[in-house]
Amino acid sequence: MNRVLLSASPQLRKILGLALLALLAVGVAPFLLDIYTVNILVRSLLYACVALTVDILWGYTGILTFGQSAFFGIGAYACGLAFSHLGLSPTVAILAFVGGLAVAAATAALVGWLAFGYGVSPIYVSVVTLVLPIVVTQILFSGGTFTGSSSGLSGFDTVDLDLETWFWIAGGALVILTTAAWIFVRSDAGRLLVAIRENEQRCEYLGINTSLLKTMILVAAALVAAAAGYAYAAYTDVIAPELAGFVFGTELVIWVALGGRGTLIGPVVGAIVIDLVSAYLSGSLPFVWKLVIGLAFVLVIVVLPQGFVPLLRKGWRRLSRSAPPAEPISALRPAPGASRRHSTAGTSLALQHVSRHYGSLKVLAGIDLSVRPGELLSLVGPNGAGKTTLIRCIADGHERSGGRVLVQGNDIGRRSPQRCVAFGIGRKFQTANVFETLTVAECLRLARHRLERPSWWARGSTLSVPEAALNVISATGLDRELGAAVTHLSHGMKQALELAMVLALEPSVLLLDEPTAGLTKPERALIGGILTTLAREHALSILLVEHDLDFVREISSRVVVLHQGRIVLDGTVAEVVDSALVRTIYAGEEHAVTGAAR
Amino acid sequence: MSAQLLDIISSAAIFYIVAAGLLIVFGVMKIINFAHGGFLTIGGYAALVTTELGLNPWLALPLAALTGLVIGALVEHFVVRPLYARPLDAILATWGLGIVIGQLITIAFGREVQFVQSPVKGTTSLLGEDYSLYRLLLVIGALVLAAGLAAILQGTRLGLMTRAVIMNESLARGLGINSGLVRFASFSVGSALASLAGALITPLSSVDPNMGVPWLVNAFMLVLVSGTSLVSLAIATVVLGGAQVLISAFWSPILGSLTIVVLAAVILRIRPQGFARE
Repeated sequence: MNRVLLSASPQLRKILGLALLALLAVGVAPFLLDIYTVNILVRSLLYACVALTVDILWGYTGILTFGQSAFFGIGAYACGLAFSHLGLSPTVAILAFVGGLAVAAATAALVGWLAFGYGVSPIYVSVVTLVLPIVVTQILFSGGTFTGSSSGLSGFDTVDLDLETWFWIAGGALVILTTAAWIFVRSDAGRLLVAIRENEQRCEYLGINTSLLKTMILVAAALVAAAAGYAYAAYTDVIAPELAGFVFGTELVIWVALGGRGTLIGPVVGAIVIDLVSAYLSGSLPFVWKLVIGLAFVLVIVVLPQGFVPLLRKGWRRLSRSAPPAEPISALRPAPGASRRHSTAGTSLALQHVSRHYGSLKVLAGIDLSVRPGELLSLVGPNGAGKTTLIRCIADGHERSGGRVLVQGNDIGRRSPQRCVAFGIGRKFQTANVFETLTVAECLRLARHRLERPSWWARGSTLSVPEAALNVISATGLDRELGAAVTHLSHGMKQALELAMVLALEPSVLLLDEPTAGLTKPERALIGGILTTLAREHALSILLVEHDLDFVREISSRVVVLHQGRIVLDGTVAEVVDSALVRTIYAGEEHAVTGAAR
Repeated sequence: MSAQLLDIISSAAIFYIVAAGLLIVFGVMKIINFAHGGFLTIGGYAALVTTELGLNPWLALPLAALTGLVIGALVEHFVVRPLYARPLDAILATWGLGIVIGQLITIAFGREVQFVQSPVKGTTSLLGEDYSLYRLLLVIGALVLAAGLAAILQGTRLGLMTRAVIMNESLARGLGINSGLVRFASFSVGSALASLAGALITPLSSVDPNMGVPWLVNAFMLVLVSGTSLVSLAIATVVLGGAQVLISAFWSPILGSLTIVVLAAVILRIRPQGFARE
């Protein structure tokens, strides 16, 4: 532990120091505060643990959940039901705890399976998490004397601990959870959460299993919420269906929003302050206080979406005239082994009778194509010829209507983009598809995620990328912008960054949809050079969609002409670019094409 | 059996009346108005005020609709308009508004359950059943509402503009349609419909400050499976509302109260567009 501490970054040391201070405060607080406040605070601290999970889910990962209350309720009922019906013993307490957590985890996994399946709309997770607490509450209602129905259960024998101990348990758990969450979200692996929120599609095409990852986060959040619920029931000796209800679920969201989503400390403070004040005002002004919270919530969502804590932080920085802490910038280095040559034998990409139709509209019909390693194949054709659709069908198994796609001999079947990436596909989209709020270095690190497991608690100081990506980075000046947020980059820089990210995947089949659009002429030439080197020296297969015939002529080793969903020409540059057919297609003379194709 | 049939038809009618305003707002603005339950509650209390003032109970309907229209217009202008680009935040802000409305009503009227006078009492004989006349009138009300909305959407200039915005807002704007006005009108009308629905359903049960929440949840799920089409909404209310009636009658009322949310969640998982055609 000492070695870890010494090698830790200054930021990490600072947060560990703050955590120790917070623990100290938790230690002395019961002796300084009056007994009523301590009493309420235990509950508030447990609520804050749940609010923290809502922040990770919603604030960081973008999963708006109304259902964390359901998991809290599951934990609370595991405790209350076991103690009521089986009596209090250490065995019962432990089994109930484990059982409650297991039920919560299984429920969360089910929610994840429902919400993050292929083709399910992004808002569906909010729908399911809205339905979940309603279902759980109704189950509790229908439980008769077993669950105590609408009045719940109370007065069961419960763990005999004094108030201070409860306070230390709740406070200690909250400090440890917050610190762990803080370290995690700032780690290399933690940046994935923001990446998913920002651009899930790009994550999938970087080979990241976002569905699994989101399900894992749901399960982890459910475990924490259930544990907090268990402690709540053991502490208060009262359980009621409202604990699992939809209204409590939305209250959690309100606390997170008011404190400041995506800040961790904001939701914690928000939950504690609001719950504590509610307890004090519940006697005198219960409705007015709820009205104030409601008004504040509307106001914050409309004019202050980031909540109060970031506002305070900004104010503090202005007062103390200190700059926000600079993000550590990674140093680039070439990835070891990335310069290996792919095998030149056989076919790297084979398409057999690939077709795609939308209803009666046929976009692709019976495409047969095979690409050898080392080929730089340009796909040309007028708008609407099906070029981008073809690229999509190669990179995502769900896209095509018929036929087979083999990547390095592996049939992609109905596999997701992320599995296709594992076969060696790398896809660059037509318009720059990057992570706008992340830095350039973070984007590149995400691209390396598949090949180099990122740390769950630390931030790497170096970043290894393959030579080809390094060439793109230095040629376009991205190496001087490593610490800059992507959103501040020019259009051309974003294009270059996406290309570098795709190259960092070390693909063996590279799909590029107009990779040089928006780049200057010298930059285009540079990228063209890098691509030809990749094909020639590393035996990559490159499939390039391009409108600029001069660029195609310069770098391609083979050109395929696509027209109305069919391949009409396939040959060398000289054969294709100068052919009369290509000119006719671009000029749009229909009969000439069909005549020639026959 | 014919009692169940009448229950299915009248329940579907009630759900249609409750969800129509939410669907119009969703269709035009692509946001879910979580204050819909609040507007429903406002309508319920408009009916209560009418009763307490000793006025003709039918007056509750225009009073409710007018209150909903005015408050809806204010809400659109001050709260929803800044959130056009943030649909998830619009859900949250309108949910917050629902809380505000609920608390204001609690402060003004108290939190207890209260009853309002029904404009029509008694039963009538239909299909060999003595059936509540008021529920049958609600079926007619739903049909009138559906016909009225169809007439507005298909027959008026504002309706044409609204349909254009529903299909493709940026194109509609490019063609010179004032989509801001369409949004404003839709939200106001949607809120008025919610309040009208609240006034219509209160004679069947009672009013309390949280009466809107369960209706909101059901209406929300019905709208999600209906997309942006009022025809799909009619189908969804008959299918899901019918399932709810049957499960409540033959199985258990508690399961019945879950029918719509659970079935809708299952339908959306299997077929994300629900009852809509595409």
